[in-house]
Amino acid sequence: MEFLARLLHLQPQTFWMIAKVIIVFAGPLTLAAILTWVERRGSAMIQDRIGPNRALLFGRWRLLGLPQLAADGIKFFLKEDLVTTDANKLLFWLAPFMAFVPAMMGFAVIPFGRALVSGGQTYHMSLLEPGNGMGMLYPLAIGSVAVYGILTAAWSSNNKWSILGGMRASAQMVSYELAMSLAVVAIFLRTGGYDPHEIINHQAVIWNVVPQFFGFLVFFVCMFAETNRLPFDFAEGESEIVAGFHTEYGSMKFALLQLSEYVHIVTAAALIVTLYFGGWQVPFVAAPSVSLSIAAFVLKLVFFCWVFIWIRWTVPRFRFDQLMFMGWKVMLPLSLGNLMVQAFLMYRRG
Amino acid sequence: MAVIVKKVELTWVDRTYVIPVLQGMAITMKHFLKQIFTRSRDRFTVQYPDWKREVGPGYRGLHELKRFEDGSIKCVACFMCAEACPARCITIEADAYGDLNKSQGFDEKRPAVFKIDMLRCIYCGMCEEACPKDAIWLRGDYEQASYDRLSMQFGKWDLMNTYADKDGKARITQDPTPSVPRNPTSL
Repeated sequence: MEFLARLLHLQPQTFWMIAKVIIVFAGPLTLAAILTWVERRGSAMIQDRIGPNRALLFGRWRLLGLPQLAADGIKFFLKEDLVTTDANKLLFWLAPFMAFVPAMMGFAVIPFGRALVSGGQTYHMSLLEPGNGMGMLYPLAIGSVAVYGILTAAWSSNNKWSILGGMRASAQMVSYELAMSLAVVAIFLRTGGYDPHEIINHQAVIWNVVPQFFGFLVFFVCMFAETNRLPFDFAEGESEIVAGFHTEYGSMKFALLQLSEYVHIVTAAALIVTLYFGGWQVPFVAAPSVSLSIAAFVLKLVFFCWVFIWIRWTVPRFRFDQLMFMGWKVMLPLSLGNLMVQAFLMYRRG
Repeated sequence: MAVIVKKVELTWVDRTYVIPVLQGMAITMKHFLKQIFTRSRDRFTVQYPDWKREVGPGYRGLHELKRFEDGSIKCVACFMCAEACPARCITIEADAYGDLNKSQGFDEKRPAVFKIDMLRCIYCGMCEEACPKDAIWLRGDYEQASYDRLSMQFGKWDLMNTYADKDGKARITQDPTPSVPRNPTSL
C-alpha cells in the first residue's frame, strides 16, 4: 500500500481513498455491464435458446457473445438521440442521471472485504469508513430516492404509457418500502448497531439468514421491487404499457436507465449479502485473510446477481394491486411480527 | 381491473408462494444446466447461417423441373399445373411442334417459357399433384431471397438447373435432341 502510494506521491490514506472510489465506481459498473450479457445469455439458456453470439471480436473471436457488450456500447453512442417535441427537455435529459446516480451511490457503504492492516494503518474496504453515523440507513434512503429518476423519466417524456409506468412505480414504492425497512430494523436490533461493519462482524458465528429467515424473505422480495425487476417490474411492463417509463428514451439515455437497473441489482445483491449472508465472512473460517474475504464477498455478490436474473426468467409479472396487497397485508405484518419476536427475544435475554 | 376468467383454488402451501417459486426455479435451473452441458450442435436452436436445417423428404421448397436421362425436359406444357395453382404464379407458353417433334421422341409439346413467380408462390404443392408427367416437384431448397422482384421470377432454365449440381447432373441451357426416339411404340 505504502509502496503504491509512494509511486504516486500520495499519502497512503489519500491513495486508498482514491483507489476505493475507483473500485466502488468501476466495480458495480463493470459487473452491471457483464450482467446485461449474463441476462441475455442466461435467459436464452433457461429458455433453451442460444442467445447473443453473432458479434465477433475483430471478425474472428466469438467469446460466447461477450463482444456484444462492445457492440451495444458503440450502438448506443452512435444512435440518433431523439427527444420528443412535447417532452420537458430539461427533466428528460436529467432523468437518466437521476436514476443512475442513486443506483451508483448505494454501494458506497457496503464493506467489500476485511479491513487491511498495513504499516500500523487500518484500511477499511468500504468507501464510507465505519462509524460514519449513517450506516445501513444510507443505502435504504438512497434506494428510495432512485424511484424519483423513474418518475421524472415517466413524467417528462409526456407519453401516456410512460405516465402509467411512473404511476405504477410509485404505487409499487409505497407498498414495499415499509416492510423492507422493518425487516432491516430487526437486523439492527439483533446487531445492536446499524453500521454494516458491525453487522458483518456480528455474523461471524451464524449468518443472519438463519435466525432472521422471515426478515430475509421480506427483504429479498422487497429488493426485487426496489430494483424494478421482473416479478415486480410494473414500471416497464412491456406487454401492457409498451416499455413503461422509458418508452420515449433512446440511445445513451436509454442505456443509462437500463444500466442503472443493473447497478441496482448489484447494490441490492450487496445489501442482501451484507445484511443476511455475512458480508465478507467465510463459513468455517474464523479469521479469513483479506483476499479470501474479498473473494467470498464477490462470490456471494455474483451469486445473488444471478439469483435476480434466475428469478426474473422464472416468475411471471404480478399485477401492481397484487404487490400492494402483498406489501400491506402480508409482508408488512410478517416483517412487523419478525421485529416483535426479535424484540421479545432480546427482552428475554436481558 | 382485469376480468377474472378462472379462479384457481390454491392450497396454503401455494399461497405462501415460496415453495412454488422454488419449484419453478428448479425447473429453470434444470433447463439452464441442460443447455450448458449440451453441445451446441445438439441444441434445439439451429444456428442458421452456419448450420442449415435438414428438411424432411416431404418438404415443399423450391421447384424443380425434371429432365429425362439425356437432359430433355419432361414437361409437356399441358398447363395443368398453371391451372391448379391457387396463387396463379406459373406462366407457361407452349412450344408446339417445333423442329423437335414426336418423331424425335418428344411428346407433342414442350414449354417455350415456363416461369414461376416465387414471390407469389405459396408452396402448396398443387402443381406437383396436378402434373400428369411428374415433371414438376417441390424440393428442399428453402433459402430464397433476393434484392429485387425480377430475380424472383424463376424461368425454365433456372428451374431445370436448380438441383443440377447437387444431383450430379450437368447444367444445361438448351434442350438436347434425344439420340433415339424415346417412345418408339407410340409412333
